[in-house]
Amino acid sequence: MTNVKIRNLVKKYGDIYALNKIDLDIKDGELFILLGPSGCGKSTTLYSIAGLIKPQEGEIWFDEKLITSAEKKYSESPQDRNIAMVFQDYAIYPHMTVFKNIAFPLQILNKHREEIKKIVIDAAKSLGIEDLLERKPKQLSGGQRQRVALARAIVREPNVFLMDEPLSNLDAKLRVFARAELKRLHKRLGITIIYVTHDQIEALSMGTTIAILNKGKIEQVGKPSEIYNFPKNLFVAGFIGSPPMNMLDGSLKKDNGNIYLDCGFTEYKLPNELHKINNEKHKEIVLGIRPEDVFISREIVNNSVRAIIDIIESMGREFEIHIDVGGKILISVLRKIENFSIGDEIYLTFNDKKLHLFDKKTGENIFASNFND
Amino acid sequence: MEQVRNDIDIIEDFKFEEKRKISKEIRKNIFSRDKLIIRLIFITCCILLAYFIYYFIVWNIFVSMTDWVGLIQTYDFVGLENYFRMVNDPIFWISLTNNLVFMLVFIPSSIIIGLFLAILLDQKIRKEGVFRTIYLLPYALSFIVTAYLWQWMFIEDGVINFILDMFGLGFLKMSWISDPNIALFSVSFALVWQFSGYIMLIFLAAIRTIPKSHIMAAQIDGASGFKLYTRVIIPQIKTSTFTAFVILMIFSLKAFDFIWILTDEGGPGWATAILPITIFKVAFNSNYFAYSSAMATTLLLIIMVIIIPYLYITYRKR
Amino acid sequence: MNSHKVNQIEKLGVVDDIKWEKLRKSKGFKLSKVKRLIKRVILYAVLIVAVLITIIPLWSGIMSAFKTQADLSLTSPIAPPLIPTLEPFIYAWLELQRPLINSVLFTTIATVISCLLGSVCGFVLTKLKFKGSKTLFMLFTIGIFLPYQSILVPLFITIRNLGIYDTMWAMILVHSVYGIPMTTLLFRSYYDSIPESLINAAKTDGAGVMAIYRRLIIPLSPLPFVVAGVFQFTSIWNDYLFALILTGANFEPASFALSNMAGGTETAWNNTMAGTFLYSLPVLLIFVLLGKYLMQGLMAGAIKG
Repeated sequence: MTNVKIRNLVKKYGDIYALNKIDLDIKDGELFILLGPSGCGKSTTLYSIAGLIKPQEGEIWFDEKLITSAEKKYSESPQDRNIAMVFQDYAIYPHMTVFKNIAFPLQILNKHREEIKKIVIDAAKSLGIEDLLERKPKQLSGGQRQRVALARAIVREPNVFLMDEPLSNLDAKLRVFARAELKRLHKRLGITIIYVTHDQIEALSMGTTIAILNKGKIEQVGKPSEIYNFPKNLFVAGFIGSPPMNMLDGSLKKDNGNIYLDCGFTEYKLPNELHKINNEKHKEIVLGIRPEDVFISREIVNNSVRAIIDIIESMGREFEIHIDVGGKILISVLRKIENFSIGDEIYLTFNDKKLHLFDKKTGENIFASNFND
Repeated sequence: MEQVRNDIDIIEDFKFEEKRKISKEIRKNIFSRDKLIIRLIFITCCILLAYFIYYFIVWNIFVSMTDWVGLIQTYDFVGLENYFRMVNDPIFWISLTNNLVFMLVFIPSSIIIGLFLAILLDQKIRKEGVFRTIYLLPYALSFIVTAYLWQWMFIEDGVINFILDMFGLGFLKMSWISDPNIALFSVSFALVWQFSGYIMLIFLAAIRTIPKSHIMAAQIDGASGFKLYTRVIIPQIKTSTFTAFVILMIFSLKAFDFIWILTDEGGPGWATAILPITIFKVAFNSNYFAYSSAMATTLLLIIMVIIIPYLYITYRKR
Repeated sequence: MNSHKVNQIEKLGVVDDIKWEKLRKSKGFKLSKVKRLIKRVILYAVLIVAVLITIIPLWSGIMSAFKTQADLSLTSPIAPPLIPTLEPFIYAWLELQRPLINSVLFTTIATVISCLLGSVCGFVLTKLKFKGSKTLFMLFTIGIFLPYQSILVPLFITIRNLGIYDTMWAMILVHSVYGIPMTTLLFRSYYDSIPESLINAAKTDGAGVMAIYRRLIIPLSPLPFVVAGVFQFTSIWNDYLFALILTGANFEPASFALSNMAGGTETAWNNTMAGTFLYSLPVLLIFVLLGKYLMQGLMAGAIKG
């Protein structure tokens, strides 16, 4: 039962910042996701928590216990932190049987033989691998290896559970299944899990809290719904969501008590709440709108933009429609497309309740009109 | 991940030791038994090597600048006198020339024969393993053993002259190792015999690591037989050729025991005395320790000139 | 052979039918059966000549070892003995008995020591990387290429000053120390291939450095131990230079004793050959038992001498 506190963590490789002043508070029992593109520093953060990397600045606390402090030149060694880690390649010891692999952390603790046996069998049962205990790692499938790695991690009853992209080596079908299983495991053990991934679907579906990292900095921390509905800046908005959020560049124009977004090819009337935005301060604007909030119709409706259908992709359950608006392609995701076809002239409307406005220069979100959540 | 790997520093822990103000917790961390034993062993090894290799080299250079003769250690510092003596000493130049001639015969012959055997063995030969083992056999034998075997081959009434007689080639009979004009070539021949199997193995391994698809692509493009080797395979085993070359080069500069025994300490006269032999004789037969150290330092210098770029090229890639 | 090739090509998917037809009609495939046969015959002839050249010195040596002095002058050097005798072997055994035991002792001990040290050094240099570890490794590696002539005088003096001249300890010390660079290189290149995540997993599983080494690294390295062990054993066994300057009448290594026995005024070739055979026996035994591992060791860029 552990809270993890990270303060001002800095890690440099040469002149490059892998971590640039990271602060994180991970609460007890969370399934905390570190999400970001490769090279963003998410693994470096995880390895720092494990003690496998020593940062140049900053501190890491487990509850009230300081475990890493660059300033005090102190770093508790990984073996003393009572953590467990699941690696991307599972890191199963190749010369040991499954049983011995799972028993390894217990043997290090010099536990009694009978006790080890009991714990190992319990852990194996809970993951459904009790029949594999005498096998060697070579004889296991990818999914089985992943379970062995999980079993080895849980027998220690660690303070914190660290996972470094544990599902990325599984095939797509197995991954969906393993996601649910990991969630169940988390619920059952009630333990703090810190989970690194580059897969936003994993992050959104599993995490209780998500931290998005980019270039060694934290872009946003929040619940999955917050991250999705209130992206703090352009990076988060663009990174989360598939297909990605549509972005329209333009400038704000106030006229007659109304406010417009001038995109060059069209002027789009924005909701009145936006009036309070200072259009002198925020000269250049990016309008973000998720594909599911872009609607199309054959007839002109109020505040609509003329456009042409470029491509229609059937995704089975839904359709992705690429729409050409004045040379810019926007994507709309719709459940039904009636009988639209490529080349059709249509009219676009946006869901005014789900608009995001970003300052182009700073990338910060200056307005998010989410009224539903 | 690569960066992560580089990062797991134990040196940082060593730095801790230097800090005077360390908390008890940290103290416990460093002097925990488990890290200490491994580090102690490693540091001991470093010290041993530092002493037995690097300190000895320096010591040897120091000795080379004295006038030390004989077993009692009394000497004066004489600067570079021994080196001046060396460059005016015909024995030194004979040894160096011997070394050079030996290298020029031994290295290309071994590489060509080794490569030739490797290519022959690459032709889907039945019982390839048997051939390979036989060719490699000489390399597995000690130099002392092969030296006596070849002495037996080379002597006046030895095996080679007998076989020449047998085939009616009696006019080719020679005093292989007692004729100063050909002794060095006989020595080279015997060493080529011992080494070409090993060189073959290096090349064979290299040929086998060329992706099959490359060879097939070349065959489809019309390369076959000789062309396949000159155009596709040989250019791809450059690294191994380089390795083989360096191995042979270093050996030919260091070779001692084989020649020492085969030609009875580099004889006849100084005909097969390459530098290592001369160094040994000057030091331990004549007790001119200082002078031999000067020659030894020169030999070391020559080897380092070859080896340091080699190591640099080999490990820079990683 | 053709069908074999076809299979491989199909597996790799590099060829379509047209190209395959071209290949089949190309020179290499068009050779008539007779031509092909002649080619193979020449190929095997060359290989067998090479075998003969390789074998003759060994054959002749072994034959001579079974001949009496009289037999030696009566028969040709490549003919088998008229009356095979073990006399030369008995003579050589009596001469070399003590030195052979000496050599077995110090060779085994020095092999074990240098392998253990090399394993630790290889482990530290790969898995506990620290600043300067690459340079340190480079300095280790240079030791492999060191011409021992350039340190003989200091070595000689040091061994005398330590009071271990002409004892087993001198040989154990020298061979253990000068074995470290080679064994470190061998172990390092093997440990390099152990994934870093295994080490990290062991660390997070609670294992310290010693536990990682004992429970993970050692159980994973029987192969490099065999390779380095065979390599060290053969090179220590075969050493002549150190034996020549560091030992005398008290503690004779086999190599030194063999050269003393053979180097008399009148060389008795049958005895010499029997001696060399006895001397080679332990190494040949190891070579036969563990030969395939040694091959891998040789491949790893090992250097003799």
